[in-house]
Amino acid sequence: MADDAPTPAVAATTRAVLDDEHVIVRGLWRGIDVFRWLALAYAAWSTWERHEQIAHPALAVAVLGVLAGWTLAVTLRPVRTVRAYAIELVIGCSAILATRLVDDPGVITAGAKTIPSIWPTAAVVGFAVLRGWRGGLAAASLVAASSFVEVVEPTPNTVTNSIFGLLLGGCIGYCVDLARTSHEALAEAMRLDAARAERDRLARTVHDGVLQTLAFINRRASDLGGEAARLGAMAGEQERILRTLVSQTDLAEVGRAVSGDADLRGLLRHVERDGVQLVSPADAVLLPRRVADEVVAAVEAALDNVRQHAGDDARAWVLLDDAGDEVAVTIRDSGRGVPSGRLQQAVAQGRLGVSSSILGRLADLGGTATVSSGPAGGTTVEMRIPNQRTGRHPSRHHGRQPERGADRQADARSRGRGAP
Amino acid sequence: MTEQDAMPQQGSSTPPEHIRVVVADDHPMWRDAVARDLADAGFEVLATADDGRSAVARTRATAPDVLVLDLNLPGLSGAEVCAALAAARVSTRVLILSASGDHQDVLDAVKAGALGYLVKSAGREEFLAAVRATAAGEPVFTAGLAGLVLGEFRRVKAEGGGSPERPIPELTDRETEILKYVATGMGYKEIAATLFLSHRTVQNHVQNIFGKLQMHNRVELVRFAMERGLDLTDPT
Repeated sequence: MADDAPTPAVAATTRAVLDDEHVIVRGLWRGIDVFRWLALAYAAWSTWERHEQIAHPALAVAVLGVLAGWTLAVTLRPVRTVRAYAIELVIGCSAILATRLVDDPGVITAGAKTIPSIWPTAAVVGFAVLRGWRGGLAAASLVAASSFVEVVEPTPNTVTNSIFGLLLGGCIGYCVDLARTSHEALAEAMRLDAARAERDRLARTVHDGVLQTLAFINRRASDLGGEAARLGAMAGEQERILRTLVSQTDLAEVGRAVSGDADLRGLLRHVERDGVQLVSPADAVLLPRRVADEVVAAVEAALDNVRQHAGDDARAWVLLDDAGDEVAVTIRDSGRGVPSGRLQQAVAQGRLGVSSSILGRLADLGGTATVSSGPAGGTTVEMRIPNQRTGRHPSRHHGRQPERGADRQADARSRGRGAP
Repeated sequence: MTEQDAMPQQGSSTPPEHIRVVVADDHPMWRDAVARDLADAGFEVLATADDGRSAVARTRATAPDVLVLDLNLPGLSGAEVCAALAAARVSTRVLILSASGDHQDVLDAVKAGALGYLVKSAGREEFLAAVRATAAGEPVFTAGLAGLVLGEFRRVKAEGGGSPERPIPELTDRETEILKYVATGMGYKEIAATLFLSHRTVQNHVQNIFGKLQMHNRVELVRFAMERGLDLTDPT
């Protein structure tokens, strides 16, 4: 938006507005510039055609001269600002009112054209482009008001023209509003994409250096034992946290921006810690935001359960499985090794309360939850959530993938053209 | 993705001193540490490599039992190295070792023929067991990898069976069941007990799952390699 170049303020603003504008808006500006000349020619021709009924031809020529002067000025140096178009609107309205001085009242009441004719419409459209439907309507109202003042007794032409003016200003303004909104959405999506690409680049750098070093320190330090082993464990912990952070294929933001869906992988990342592993596919597991939030709450409840009842050394896995028409989330813990009657014991321990809160959430989503225990101990909670999304998300964003692929291929081509 | 799960207990009948290994890693520190660990444990380290092309060349020249391959080598990706080796009909089995859980890269490498995947933060014993398992031709199947593989089959099914020239077969219900068990941290023994199957049967299922995912067609591998400008002629 900002223009650093030391140009005059008006020119800078103009350029900034032009640079920022949507292609439709730019097209409209060009259209206005062309229309202004055509409207001027039409006004001149209309005046010429009825020159014998004009009371003060010299004044009519003077009015047309002012219009021509402005038209030439804004063609040579287009200024798309509210101020410039306000001036044009004032010129247009004044020219309409000046018709009162040029013509006899009788001629005007008989329905003669105003001197500027359709020329003020350019200003109406200009305001529609600058200020949306409100601007278009306001400018058209001003032009209509001038016309009514000019004729004193409204003719059918005055009414029709005013209605057309209001429709034109309103409709074009509305279209411009829509174009601007979609342009902003696109710009936002591009910004997110760029942010993701940048993070991927950082992730790669971190991966190549920092992670390797931390993992190495951890590995070597555990050989040394004692104090070094404790330091190594710290390095290992940091390595794990950092790896989770940089390997996240966080499509949540982009997904939301595009479809309003949320990626369950991103939403559940926080549950991963020592002893809890999130197992997910390479592609986003998308659910409507509201549904995804409920699922996350249910998973958290299930993991709380594991923490409280499965023993301190129990480990847990959270598996995300997107089978297309339904998403299954399985939470299994390694348990304390209670081989049988675990569920009954769970009921006795009051775990059923938590289970029913999970069951309740899933029932609200139209899904199911089952709790079972394996022969070797450990409890499995399987949640199934129906997914009404029509088809899977087709895109496979893997952030750095395209960029790297392109690099590699270019690289490979430059070296290996001689392959058989 | 963190691989906190211990690898399922797998056979290690081959004595380590008969297992010949090539180590490819662009990080000198890591390359030396891994090679030293392997040598200390009685493996024979034939060569090391620090980029994708030399990994392919040295593996083809020495034909080791196992290539321990860093996923992100300069020059060629892990998947490209695997494809180049498979296309050149090298019988070496590949174990992917990576510092990050870059999901798609791991999946690509496995599809191109890698037999297993381990993050670098895995313990030494786990790593040595994985090299032994790889040498024995057994997939090193961690929960994280199982989740990726399951997701890949789901995706292919939703898209209608893969590309026309390469239809990926669907998993049977039993295979899907076993895959989900592996993906929730169960060992083969535990799965066998749960499903009333023998340990061997579970292993067979796992190998079938891998077989369905991997590119076996030489034409396909060669095209994959050629598209990336890999030289498949004899390295000598």
